[in-house]
Amino acid sequence: MTGWFSKTIRIFSWACGMAFTSIIFFFIGYLLYRGAGSLSLKLIFENTGVIDAVLLRKQVLGGLFPAIAGTIILVLLSVGIAVPIGVAAGIHMAEYARGRWKEALGFFFDILASVPSIVIGLFGLSLSVYLHRTFFPKLYPSLIISALSLAVLVLPYIIRSTQYALESIPESTRIIAPALGASRLQNILYVLIPRASSGILGGIVLAVGRCAEDTAVIMLTGAVAFAGVSRSLFSGYEALPFYIYYISSQYADPAELAEGYAASLILLAICAVFFGVSFIIQKGVESRALYGP
Amino acid sequence: MDNKLKISINDLHFSYKDKSVLSGASLRIMENTINAIVGPSGIGKSTFLTTLNRLWDTTSAEMTGKIEIFFHGVPQDIYDPRFPETTLRRKVGMVFQAPNPLPMSIFRNVAFPLKLAGKTSRGETEESVEKALRQAFLWDEVKDRLHKDALLLSGGQQQRLCIARALVLAPEVLLLDEPTSSLDEKAGAVIEELLVELKKNCTMVIVSHYLAQVDRIADTVHELVGGKFVTGRR
Repeated sequence: MTGWFSKTIRIFSWACGMAFTSIIFFFIGYLLYRGAGSLSLKLIFENTGVIDAVLLRKQVLGGLFPAIAGTIILVLLSVGIAVPIGVAAGIHMAEYARGRWKEALGFFFDILASVPSIVIGLFGLSLSVYLHRTFFPKLYPSLIISALSLAVLVLPYIIRSTQYALESIPESTRIIAPALGASRLQNILYVLIPRASSGILGGIVLAVGRCAEDTAVIMLTGAVAFAGVSRSLFSGYEALPFYIYYISSQYADPAELAEGYAASLILLAICAVFFGVSFIIQKGVESRALYGP
Repeated sequence: MDNKLKISINDLHFSYKDKSVLSGASLRIMENTINAIVGPSGIGKSTFLTTLNRLWDTTSAEMTGKIEIFFHGVPQDIYDPRFPETTLRRKVGMVFQAPNPLPMSIFRNVAFPLKLAGKTSRGETEESVEKALRQAFLWDEVKDRLHKDALLLSGGQQQRLCIARALVLAPEVLLLDEPTSSLDEKAGAVIEELLVELKKNCTMVIVSHYLAQVDRIADTVHELVGGKFVTGRR
């Protein structure tokens, strides 16, 4: 490799990195510029008292609070469904599945990962229609249907990140516990999972982001424009991405559009909080497993 | 030293991905001795060690032959399907070439095999950990910082920690795969000294490259030549 060539590559890589970083700053800056002015307690809670609203004593009408609550509940539900299944499947892929079976499973997970979210939304909708007609006449597109559909959407990320995090643990680390008399399961639980936890977290963070932002799935499976904070898993709900989509396609004046930008800022903030919390949980799991009492 | 048989290895054949490593290897190892396995690198000395605790990769290697270990005087075919490998590995400890403490505190590293074996009484654990650390000549250096990260110890200390961890279940056999090769001379000398001391409780099989080390500590020397052992005297 000649000197000028490797130099060019280095500068180009640096420039690409810088370009992306500046896009992110520009993007957040733009959202702040357009939306920060509309951010206010009134935007979120309208005329309802903050405490009354948060304790669900009074329904917030017109504010963003129901959409914020809906998004948080939706993310918790979907990720709560997807994480145990995904991590377990990832463990199966990395530690137990072998040969053809592993290849076949990997192939299906890749297919699942490439299914567009609108198709998964359509599937969720069809499923709820089918269930409504055949088994549960009271079941309509609702929070639980959306959560299940989103869980399916993000499962491949969690499976694959768990699998790769486990597979990247070197053989020299894998044999430590067995040499000390650990069973296969003990090795997985006590050594391999804590070691892989930061990689698994990467998949969960991706999943959280995807559940928080996805609009296609929830549009078809239960999100509605005005529902208030949902009181049940089987009712419709409001969600921020749907609100943003709705307001930006039907705004009546610039002030309403600005509220869309403000909602976007809130959505970003919610994601940031989720990332922070997952990071803290992962550190906790890791240090409890390795350094705890 | 009494001359009781500890390990009897009979006509061992071992091949890895169609490459023959051991072909008809036989060996008798006496109780409470240090046995050095020597030979050029890549000839299969480490692989041989893993046949004694069944730690080799059963998916890509094949083995025939018989290995018996006398646990408390009773012969046990260690490849008997009814004899669980977890039990075997609790009785046959292993120390690797590079120190490999887990990213835990010193105390938890040494207590880890006890936890795996389901022994959880706090008092007993503390006692066993202290005993193992004393056996490994490490207690005095770490007794005031048992709950500090094991990875902060020096290389030599880490290797002695790994020896303590292997000793905490009071194994009857200890396998050592070039345990001093990643250490400086001084740290290595401490380990040699402690191995000689350990002969009271353990039978040791050690792979070593250093002939001087073999001369210093081994009771018998077995050279691996063409897949068989040639036993020399010391």
